Order: sequence, then C-alpha cells, then structure tokens
Amino acid sequence: MTPDGRIKLVSELLDLPLVDSEGRYCGIVDDIEFIGTKELKLKALMVGPGAYEGRIPRPLFWLVRKLAGDRITRVPIDRVRSIGSVVKLDCAGKVVGLERSEDAAGKWIPRGGAL
Amino acid sequence: MNPLELTLGIMTAVGGFVDISELVFAAKAGSTFGYALIWVFAFSTVGIIVFSEMSGRVAAVAKQPVFNLVRHRLGLQLGLLTLVASIISNLITCAAEIGGLSLILNYLTGAPYFLMAPVATLVIVISIWILPFKWIERVYGLLGLFMITFAVALIAIHPPWSEVAGGFVPHIPHGLNTKELLTFGYFCVAIVSAVMFPYEVYFYSSGGIEEEWGPKDLLTNRITSIVGMGLGSLLAISILASSAQFFGPAYVDPEIPGSTALQAAIPFGKWGLILALLGMFFAVAGAAVETCMANAYSIAQFFGWRWGRHKKPWEAPRFTIAWIALFVVALSIVLTGVDVMILVELAILFSILVLPLSYLPLLLLAGDRQYMREHANGSIAKGLGWFYFGVITAAALAAIPLYLLTAGGSG
Amino acid sequence: MWRVTLVLAPLAACSSGPYDDVQYIKQARSLGAEWALVNEQASQNKLTSTYVDSMHKWIRQQLGGSSTSLTQPSSRYGEEIQALFHESDNAPPERLRAHVKKLKEIEDQLESA
Repeated sequence: MTPDGRIKLVSELLDLPLVDSEGRYCGIVDDIEFIGTKELKLKALMVGPGAYEGRIPRPLFWLVRKLAGDRITRVPIDRVRSIGSVVKLDCAGKVVGLERSEDAAGKWIPRGGAL
Repeated sequence: MNPLELTLGIMTAVGGFVDISELVFAAKAGSTFGYALIWVFAFSTVGIIVFSEMSGRVAAVAKQPVFNLVRHRLGLQLGLLTLVASIISNLITCAAEIGGLSLILNYLTGAPYFLMAPVATLVIVISIWILPFKWIERVYGLLGLFMITFAVALIAIHPPWSEVAGGFVPHIPHGLNTKELLTFGYFCVAIVSAVMFPYEVYFYSSGGIEEEWGPKDLLTNRITSIVGMGLGSLLAISILASSAQFFGPAYVDPEIPGSTALQAAIPFGKWGLILALLGMFFAVAGAAVETCMANAYSIAQFFGWRWGRHKKPWEAPRFTIAWIALFVVALSIVLTGVDVMILVELAILFSILVLPLSYLPLLLLAGDRQYMREHANGSIAKGLGWFYFGVITAAALAAIPLYLLTAGGSG
Repeated sequence: MWRVTLVLAPLAACSSGPYDDVQYIKQARSLGAEWALVNEQASQNKLTSTYVDSMHKWIRQQLGGSSTSLTQPSSRYGEEIQALFHESDNAPPERLRAHVKKLKEIEDQLESA
C-alpha cells in the first residue's frame, strides 16, 4: 500500500516497524502527526520515546523519560515508500535522523572476533 | 527441502528441547505421581508444536518475528506490559539455567559453584559473540543430544512398558485426597508452563528470520516442529519414567538437580553418569542462550532496533548491548545465592502468567489472510491454536492459587 | 547458599506448627533418601568421587536449610532431622534410610490428621 491511499491508522500503521532503503530496521511508528484543520492529512511518522506521551499513563511516561529520554524523530510522510507488514522508507535511516541512538551505542562495541 | 538441513534442524530441536525446568519437573512428576503425568507432557508438547509451527510460518511468510506482532496487535500499553512481563520471566529462567549450569559443572569438576557461574556465563557470551546464528543454534542443540543417555537408560532398566504406555492416556489417578489432587493440578500447570515456555517461540521465530526463511521452508518448519519437538519430549518423558521407577519407591522427590543424573548411573555406572551430566550441561547451556537471546530479540523488535546474530555484533550495537547486559543481570541473580530450585519455580510461575499475552498476537496474525495469504491458519491449526490458548489461559488463572495452596507442589 | 522463602500472600492456615513444618519434613525425607541412593551407588563404584563429594555438600546444605526453617525444631521430627544431618558423609545407606523411614511415618501421620 502507498501512503497516499486510504489507511486504517491504528491497525495498519501505528506500531509498525520502520525499514530503510538498505533493509535495516530503524525504529517503530510510535505516533502519527497530522496537518490541516478541516481536512486532516498525514504529515509525519513520529519515532522515539517522546512520542509515547498521551499513549501511556503519565507515571509510566515519567519513568520512560527518565530511562530513555523524550526525543522524537519526525519522518516526513513523503519519505515513506510503502506500508505493509512494515513501513518501508525510500532512504537510509540516517537521512531522516533515525540512527543516532544506534550510532551512539556502536561506540561501545569492539570490532573483531566474530565469524 | 535439503535433507541434511532438515536432519540437522530436527536433531537441534531434539537436543534443545529439555531445559532445567523440565529436568526438575519431569523428575519430581515421576517420583510423586508415577507415570500418571506422562500424558501432560505429551499434551503440552502438541501445544508447543502448534505455536512453534505457527511462529515459524509467520516468520517465513509475513517476515515478522513475534515481538513485532505483539507491539502491533496489542498496542503500546498492553505491548509494554507483555514485554516487561516477558523480560522478567525470561530473566528468571535465564538465571535458573545459569545456576543449573554452575551446579552441573560443580558435579562434573568439583569447581566452586560461585566460580563456575561467571565462568560459564563468560564462555556462553564469548560463544555468542564469535559464532554466527546457525552455529550457535547447531552447536548447543546437537551437543544437547547427549541427553539421549536418559532414554537409553530407561530402556536398560526394563520399566513396566504397559504402565508407561498407560501414562500417555489422559487420566487422573484414583484415590487422591484433596491435597494430592491440588498438587496434581499444580504439576499439570507447571508442566504446561515448562514445555510451552514463551522464550522457545520467540527464539524459534527470530531464528527463522535470521535464517531468511521463505515460503519454500514451510515444510521444513512443519517437520522440524513436529518431529524435533516430539522426539525431544520423549527425553523429558524418559526422565519422568525413570524417576517413577527409581525415585518414587525410594521416597526421593529430587530436591537437587544432580540427583537426576543417578538415573543413568544406576544402569551404566560412571560413564552413564558422565554422559548424563554432559547432556544436562549442554541442554541447559542451550536454554541459557535461548532465554537470553529471546529477551534481547524481544526488546530490539519491540523498539525497532537493528537485531540478529546474522549481523556482526557491532552492526546491531543496541541488540548486542542488550544480550550482554541481560546475561550480566541473570548472573547477578545467581550470585545472590538464591536456590536454583526456587528460581525454577519462579520461572515456571512467571512464564505461565505471560503465556496468554505472548501467544495471542501470534494466533491472530497466523490466521490473518492479509499478511499470511494462502498460508494463513487452516481449520486444524486454528482449532488447535484456540484450544491451547484456552488451556494456557485457564492454567494462567489457576497457577498462583495452586502454587499457594500446595506450597509450590510440595503438598 | 541460602534458601529464599517465597511469601506471595498470607495463607489462612487451619493450624500452625507441625502443619507448617510438613513441607520441610518432606524435603528432609527426600534429601535423606537421595543421600542414601548416592551412597549406595558410590559403594558399587558407579559414581565419580567428584560427583559424590558435590552431592554430599549440597544435600547437607539443603538439610541445614530445612532444619533451620522448622517452626518446632525441638519436636520429634526436628530431632530426627538433626540426627540425619549429623550422620557422616559416607554413612551406610541403611542407616540413612532408617531416618528416612521415620520421617516418612511422621509426614504421613501429619498429612492424614
């Protein structure tokens, strides 16, 4: 399915994994951003613990923020190539700012020793 | 279908079936109720076969591992609850496996328990770091085939085969008083939990994605699930039957995991003992790997991180940090000195509480034609799936009351 | 190693003392029986000495835990468990089984009462 067609937001988009153009997992659709007043249109997919606000009870969101922060990365809807069992992007995750945590974690992992 | 791959897959499933919980509960079940609980093992094995086959099919067709489905189907709140519950359950199970490993190493070498725990953990971490996924699965699974010692030991002691066969027929023994009936009920719940541990399905489905299964692998998946797990359960049943033969009449309700190895020592002497301990070691080590990796898969899949041992550790850094950190936490639990048998009981209890939430999304997705197309659940898979979902839900509701009323099965 | 006593919720107990101790009597009975089985097989040279030493150590540790968990340590069964605990590692299986038999009788009496 392409992002300009009709879509059931909760059952077909929310909480789907994001896969970039290189086939790598780069997040989950944690929330959705709209634009417009009379007619709402999808603007961006929101990825990151900050997007949990409003979706989980406030005490739980407080805990999430303490543990993981509250950053949100917005993936513009025009970067979405297709929506199926995963959301496929038309670019690398880095291009839309999705790989920062993975890169930060990568600095702690030694390279070598694996077959 | 590659016959060699299929054979290796089946043998891996056989060797990887038994873990510390099944070792403990099979022995206790046999000593307490004779052959009467064999049918519960067989019944539960059908359940794990149903869900394993489903999870492998979903991995092959929808290309989705279990925890992606949990998040998508249950939503964030319920998904988080399932994730946290599953992490706790798998962590306790992993700690029980590491504790079990340390005990077995102590029986084999005499080296101190508290030294063997970090040594065993380090060796496992290094093996996961070095080996790619297929090798991790195959090495531990195939070496777990030393567990066949128990099946051979059972044959060697010439048990009353008619009574063993009778154990496969569902029944409740006659003449049990109320307390014994409740204890029987607790053992039923515990066996269902031990056989149908959710980590097995998480690991199996993630493994299917790691090995890039596609629709062409569906037959392999089905045969591996049915034959591999079916034969694997016979190893657990062998332990139960030997326990009924030796331990019951001797008033032994094994309080120490090492007593199970006596089942092979009695007919075969020292070599039987050593082979049995080696079988226990590799089976439990494999389970330690699976429980920890299942947790790491769950976390990574739930939050959309890169994951998998088909990648080098530095190519999926958050996933790598997750599985190493989980091993450290599990080891820390063991180093507090908590009794391994207590960890086993807690693992069983937490696991059965998590099972319904873990299997529901899998059941829903495996039947969804939008994702699974012509490979969605047919009437048999659907019927069995919902039947076993009912069973595990009932078991989850009964678990805590039965645990309290029977003091954890000790009556 | 210390045994963690898991208390999930208070149980309404019909009586206290011996009934609370039934699970520890069972544990001690089983441990005594495992000990006897180990010593019997060891005497037939079917076990490695490493395994035997290890099992002795763990059995004794668990027995000690059962003994200290008793609510009535000075009772008949408490003294029987102490007597079992004080047997030497390589005690003859028959002597160990004599303790097991006594503990089993007490266990059955308490459970049928």
